[in-house]
Amino acid sequence: MNREKDIIGFACAYTPLPLIHAAGFAPYRILPNVDCPDQAGRLMHDNLCPHVKRVLDRAMSGTIPELKGMVFMNSCDSMRRLYDAWKAVKPDMNSVLVDLPPVATHASIGFFRDELERLSRTIEQWGGKAIDDASLARSIGLYNRVSSLFTALRGKAGRSELMGGSTALQEAYNRASTSPPEEGIASLEAILDEGADIKEGEPGVPVYLFGNVLPEPEAFALFESCGAHIVSDDLCTGSRLFAAMETGGGDILLALARGILGRPSCARTFSAERPGGLGDDVAEGAINAGARGVIGYTAKFCDPYIARMPGVWDALKKEGIPFLLLEGDCTLRSIGQQRTRIEAFIEMLR
Amino acid sequence: MMKAYFTDMEAGIVKAISEGNSSHRKLYTLELARLGKRLYSGADSIAWCGITAPFDLLNAMGVTSCFVEFIGAMLALTGSVGPFIEETDHIGYSADACSYHRSVSGAAIRGMMPAPNFLIGTTNPCSGGLAVLENLARRFERELFVLHIPQDDSAGNVRFLADQMREMAAFVSRITGRALDDTALRKSVENSNRACGVIKEIFELAGRVPSPVASRDLSNFGIVMPLFFGSGQAIAIAEAYRDEFTKRIDAGADGKPGRKFRLLWIQNRIQFRHGLEKMLEEEYGASIISDELNDITWDPIDPENPFEGFARRAISIPFNGTIERRIGHLKKLAWQYRIDGAINPCNWGCRQGTGARGLMENGLREIGVPVLNLEVDCVDSRKFAEGQMRTRLEAFMEMLDGREPLRG
Repeated sequence: MNREKDIIGFACAYTPLPLIHAAGFAPYRILPNVDCPDQAGRLMHDNLCPHVKRVLDRAMSGTIPELKGMVFMNSCDSMRRLYDAWKAVKPDMNSVLVDLPPVATHASIGFFRDELERLSRTIEQWGGKAIDDASLARSIGLYNRVSSLFTALRGKAGRSELMGGSTALQEAYNRASTSPPEEGIASLEAILDEGADIKEGEPGVPVYLFGNVLPEPEAFALFESCGAHIVSDDLCTGSRLFAAMETGGGDILLALARGILGRPSCARTFSAERPGGLGDDVAEGAINAGARGVIGYTAKFCDPYIARMPGVWDALKKEGIPFLLLEGDCTLRSIGQQRTRIEAFIEMLR
Repeated sequence: MMKAYFTDMEAGIVKAISEGNSSHRKLYTLELARLGKRLYSGADSIAWCGITAPFDLLNAMGVTSCFVEFIGAMLALTGSVGPFIEETDHIGYSADACSYHRSVSGAAIRGMMPAPNFLIGTTNPCSGGLAVLENLARRFERELFVLHIPQDDSAGNVRFLADQMREMAAFVSRITGRALDDTALRKSVENSNRACGVIKEIFELAGRVPSPVASRDLSNFGIVMPLFFGSGQAIAIAEAYRDEFTKRIDAGADGKPGRKFRLLWIQNRIQFRHGLEKMLEEEYGASIISDELNDITWDPIDPENPFEGFARRAISIPFNGTIERRIGHLKKLAWQYRIDGAINPCNWGCRQGTGARGLMENGLREIGVPVLNLEVDCVDSRKFAEGQMRTRLEAFMEMLDGREPLRG
């Protein structure tokens, strides 16, 4: 990646990347799929989210780039505890916890807007440029461009024309989440310029994939080798991170807050007017994508998903959509053990 | 089942009291039974809530309200929690989730939870609790109001939460058809303040050397008492505790000769019946004299302007915010009560609690207070291995025996 810019780390798809970029920093996602020793257990219980523990493992083992600071989102209990533990293992590093409302009401969007303003002041103190409306609008524009390129790339993957299939798509997500948007755009345009990869033989079974943290490209290769064709995804290490947002006129921080809280949501964000809506959303996503089945992948011990999963089962059952739920530690070493279950599920869908 | 349980419990305690067999703990349990009975009566306006909802505000509005974890604790206490937890297994709830929440969800599936008029979710203390309230709102097809409790009490945060609570009052009025009565609210706040004043006295007495407190005396006290805030009963219960502890102190001793170890319990107690507390008291002279939530962490609330006070109170609960704040509070309790050692049950499935167990252990160790981290599911007795827990507690107590006590 471009090392001309100082880097700010993040670990959650709700992180306001345009704000970090507008301050002159390169946002860099600390992904959990890097080999390093398990050490987080010294501070955290075994039953804590493996994503959070792997991110902390990386900090403890020094397998992260030199960071100017780390931005945490208060998206769930585990993320809040990650912030606490990070401060203990990296006491000299800049870090900030941004509060994140669980619902997107008028008042909570305003609250989140103020949190974004606090974040912008904080990262300015870390040596960033003063963020003005024009620079923030430019950064939002760049990320919207990344989003639209990913939409095109997903379309290509959905038509089975993307060289490398969903594995390549995930590699692109990982690259884009660890690079400044300018690099992400160049890389995505290059991929889109590549010729179509028309495969011969029987196409895979169309499957909708949802869940939280699954950045391991080889996991997607595993799905495909089991006969699945991922036609659409809703993962926080996938499509959810790069969702386009409107800026419009007026208060741009408010627009950013509204855009982030209004994008396709992780289970931790919901509508009080539509409780249990996650199940309906997954079913709708699967139907719209023309999927014959749904695979859910969640990191173990993820309370927001654990609690909502019965509702997802229920909604998919009502629509007659078969569902396979996998739990793991965000890496291939656990998902590889699920091969037989994935193969049996795909066989059932044929 | 639950209605009969609470009705029988109330009748039994009333009979005991009428026969002159009253005690502070009986008064407390009597009010719990009455709350349970009202929840299952089918007559009251009912709200299922998160732990940090403003119960005195809801009481002032004529709503019988309760946090859902109360039901999980009651099912554990009655030894009937197993089938309810199994019910959630059948619908795809992971066994890794908090058993408070699994048992409540199972009770709702089995029709053992009364349908509320509405629900109030709170972001503090945990993500799982809020998710369960969302699920219950879906199941019961009732409206849900969410209170986002900010992480600290900066001015903007207090205003944001106070405004949410005002909006919540309007939401409750719309559903119940009852407007918020300023006089009732003022009276409720005054009662809360009086109760909290007496509770502070209780905690001051508990910190005396020797302490008048036995391990079960203040079990669940700090988390349950807010359910009664706003009512005269909260004051009566608190005064009964204060008078009992004063009596014990005036008697010249704590009533338990040989008691020497003063323990702090982190987070929640084990809710089902077990023999560990008795073992600690009888074999090691050790009492749990402080629980993490047995503290008044907020200032008296202004009856003329209560919403800001409600907001500050919700933000001040030690489970809220960063772990630095929580550790600071634990240290304060350790000094205040001259604690010899702390026990953290590390309730299985509690991410907000267990996620920081190492940091809490390190924090208390800095001031010379050792921490025993257990591995307990505080609700699901089927997973409880008492023998293993005894061995670990015994080793901990023997280690404490060779240490100098904490000096203030």
